[in-house]
Amino acid sequence: MEQLAADVHLFSLDKYGESAAVHKKVLIVDDSPAEVKLIQGLLEREGYWPVGLNDPKRVEEAIAHEHPSVILLDIVMPGRNGYQVCRDLKGNAEFNSIPVIMVTTKDSVSDKFWGQQQGADGYVTKPFTREELIRAVRRFA
Amino acid sequence: MRHANVIILTDETEFARLLTAGWQAERQAPRVTVLTSDLWPEQEAPARDLVVVGPVREGGLTSVLRALDPLTAVILCVPADSKELGQLRAKYPRLIHVPLREDWAQTLLLVAGESLRRTEAVRLARQAERAAAKNENHATLGRYMLDMKHSVNNALTSMLGNAELLLLEPGQLSSQSLAQIKTIHSMALRINEVMQRFSSLASEMLEAENTSQAETEGATAQASQRH
Repeated sequence: MEQLAADVHLFSLDKYGESAAVHKKVLIVDDSPAEVKLIQGLLEREGYWPVGLNDPKRVEEAIAHEHPSVILLDIVMPGRNGYQVCRDLKGNAEFNSIPVIMVTTKDSVSDKFWGQQQGADGYVTKPFTREELIRAVRRFA
Repeated sequence: MRHANVIILTDETEFARLLTAGWQAERQAPRVTVLTSDLWPEQEAPARDLVVVGPVREGGLTSVLRALDPLTAVILCVPADSKELGQLRAKYPRLIHVPLREDWAQTLLLVAGESLRRTEAVRLARQAERAAAKNENHATLGRYMLDMKHSVNNALTSMLGNAELLLLEPGQLSSQSLAQIKTIHSMALRINEVMQRFSSLASEMLEAENTSQAETEGATAQASQRH
């Protein structure tokens, strides 16, 4: 299959040990139901257990309920953007150990830098290929 | 600063000579045109930033000022007891009067220098306003393009992803459907390449514009320092 130019950035890995591999639940936070459904389809084929969430205001509630191993987080969302969500999660002792991968159309160097500044552990730019997404998720779960 | 254009309008040769000599001693002299009131064109006056009106024939001041654009900077250098002065001041609020007495030349050069600096400042401010309006248009276009890019990339993600999902199970598709999905996938990739080229072009244009703006600002700052 033809490849997109790889645009996947993984900022950190060391702090997540083998424990992340125990659960393979992935929380997908994106305001677009079509995007959530697509990512769910791609992850299910790889044996993951994807859980979709369209409302970014309910991320903490969803994490407390689902205990995901990794979070795929869109940035451009109404009400609460991905940067805010990531900053809040990384500032919360209860959730800050869960890896967060930004999955977004925002592709500039400054966007990626800002994502990293908010504590994101990875960055996947839309449009992505299946391989790119799976490779990013596999690093953490 | 660009060279300013000054018209000295007088019927007294000595007035024009003294003033021109005074300007020639300055560090930066304007382009000076000397005219008598007889030669003052009624319809089309030469381009100027400042008009200095000196002594003219009796009753000539009113006709001279009538031919001027009301926005033109005018310095009137006539005796304080001139008959026409009171009426003219009421009619032309921007008129500056320098009394024609012993030190008139030095005073007039100082006032004229300030007037020309003001004209130049107004010109630069208008230039900056035009540039700001142009930049604002570019910014609006840029924001629109970013918004469109976000929407297109979201749509592309869905097209590519769903095509890939279908292609993962080729056995469930007829050979024709399989070929069509491959085409959709391939075309979506091509759109993505085009979008990336647009992004590169936008970055290059922004860089070129920033360089050009820095050069313009540098030239303006140098001109101000020289002045």
